[in-house]
Amino acid sequence: MSLLERIAHPNQAKVWYGEIPIQSRYTVGITGERFFREIKDNGRLWGTRCPHCDLVYIPPRLYCERCFAHLEEWVEVPTTGRVHTFTVVHLDLDGNPLPEPRIIAFIQIDGTDGGLIHDLGEVDPEEVCIGMCVEAVFKDPAERRGSITDIRYFRPVG
Amino acid sequence: MARNRVAIVGAGMTKFVRRAQETAKELAWEAASKALESCEMTLADIDAVVIGSAPEAFDGVHMKSEYLSDGCGGWGKPIIRGFVGGGTGVFSAIQGWYHIASGLFDTVLVVCEEKMSSCQPHPQGAFITIFDNITERALGPNLLWIFALEMNAYMTRYGLSKRDIALVAVKNKRNAADHPAALLGDPNITVEDVLNSEVLAWPVQRLDVSPISDGAVAIVMAAEHVARRVTNKPVWVEGVGWNLDTAYWTNRDLSYPTYVEEAARMAYKMAGITEPRKQIHIAEPYDPFDYKELHHLEGLLLFDKGKASEATALGITQRDGDLPVCPSGGLLGVGNPISAAALMKVAELFWQLREEAGARQVPGQPKRGVAQAWGDLMQVGTVIVLGV
Ligand SMILES: [Zn+2]
Repeated sequence: MSLLERIAHPNQAKVWYGEIPIQSRYTVGITGERFFREIKDNGRLWGTRCPHCDLVYIPPRLYCERCFAHLEEWVEVPTTGRVHTFTVVHLDLDGNPLPEPRIIAFIQIDGTDGGLIHDLGEVDPEEVCIGMCVEAVFKDPAERRGSITDIRYFRPVG
Repeated sequence: MARNRVAIVGAGMTKFVRRAQETAKELAWEAASKALESCEMTLADIDAVVIGSAPEAFDGVHMKSEYLSDGCGGWGKPIIRGFVGGGTGVFSAIQGWYHIASGLFDTVLVVCEEKMSSCQPHPQGAFITIFDNITERALGPNLLWIFALEMNAYMTRYGLSKRDIALVAVKNKRNAADHPAALLGDPNITVEDVLNSEVLAWPVQRLDVSPISDGAVAIVMAAEHVARRVTNKPVWVEGVGWNLDTAYWTNRDLSYPTYVEEAARMAYKMAGITEPRKQIHIAEPYDPFDYKELHHLEGLLLFDKGKASEATALGITQRDGDLPVCPSGGLLGVGNPISAAALMKVAELFWQLREEAGARQVPGQPKRGVAQAWGDLMQVGTVIVLGV
């Protein structure tokens, strides 16, 4: 039996506390620059298309992962899609109950071969179903920062 | 044991830069697609992918090979990530070799990527846990401590001066001025510049050190029957070796890299090399610090202990010398995106042995070269011997 298993509290064992003192600064990349600028400036979604594989990537890619082609064809895609799957989240990262449950969905964007993970809003969890048609709700232009949270959430269409 | 013969048939790299706008995946894709183009192959021709990348903390992404896989051409293919710290770049080529030598695959794309600029405020923060958490971290160490202590031990053992060692930085940064992908090439740098640069941790000064960098490098490896079909200039992997010393750096003689010698002996034996000083025509030893080139040349048995500096002063290690060392410009000149920097050395041998190195080409039609990297807890040596 190890010492740690025998002691009542971990601090009773000799310990040294340390942290890894780093923060990461992630560039959004070559295609990310345009994708997020369109969201911020125009409230629009753009993807890139591989003509060889006939795939529209969203989020957009610089290259086709299947055939490795350099993707230079940009296509504007709808801000609508379908719920491919969803969950209802009740706890935060620390395990504390959320004031309101969050509905998180994988939204297959119309006219593309990909999608986005995002919140669903203006809908009750009981009303959500797989296959539901939804649309993006953007923040006001002044509030947008060029990030995925410039989309406030997706809500049911109609 | 029967092993299939393996060649390198293509290579490509991004520029090494201080801060890349590209994501890590985009860097990997650029290098990988250039390597494929160089041998007129496509992803469909590739059986498996080897991904090399150093600590996760640099890119700030855990399970980095899964993250990088699509940029490395790994979609729908068997992939593996090799990781031995700074030794990773050469080790990834070794992994590519045994994937094919074993008969499991005919073609392997090896891609090494590092994006150190993501790591804020400085990649040193990511290195802190390589020290012993109990006996060393309380002292607030950083990586420079290791190098400074090792450099001093090496200098003192062999009676070398700072000036002797600065010659390496000058040679490599001047060589890098001819490399189109280099970050710190400088045709006019002098020994005085190195000796007058900022002292970081004595005896290590600013220009004794390679720069943190972003970049990616890729090579295409193939079994003999494929290699002969795709190129008339295959560069054969003749030997590989790797070795680790104790994880306690306080239990090693810091003036000599025994682990590099052991790795070199393994690779030379496989390559049938009995007299490395005669049979090796170019060397690309790992040079994150100027003294490390000398240290590693001795570990590679290319010079007697303590004598690599004398050879440097005599010009033997210049591009037109008897044993060109780091004709690429090395990490000191081209840059040091960890794993990519070491695979760059393998790619340099590929270009040199095919006589495709342009302004960097060493004269005399070299037939065999050795590349080496070093890392982990400063105790791993990885070695590959290539020949035509
Ligand atoms: Zn495609």
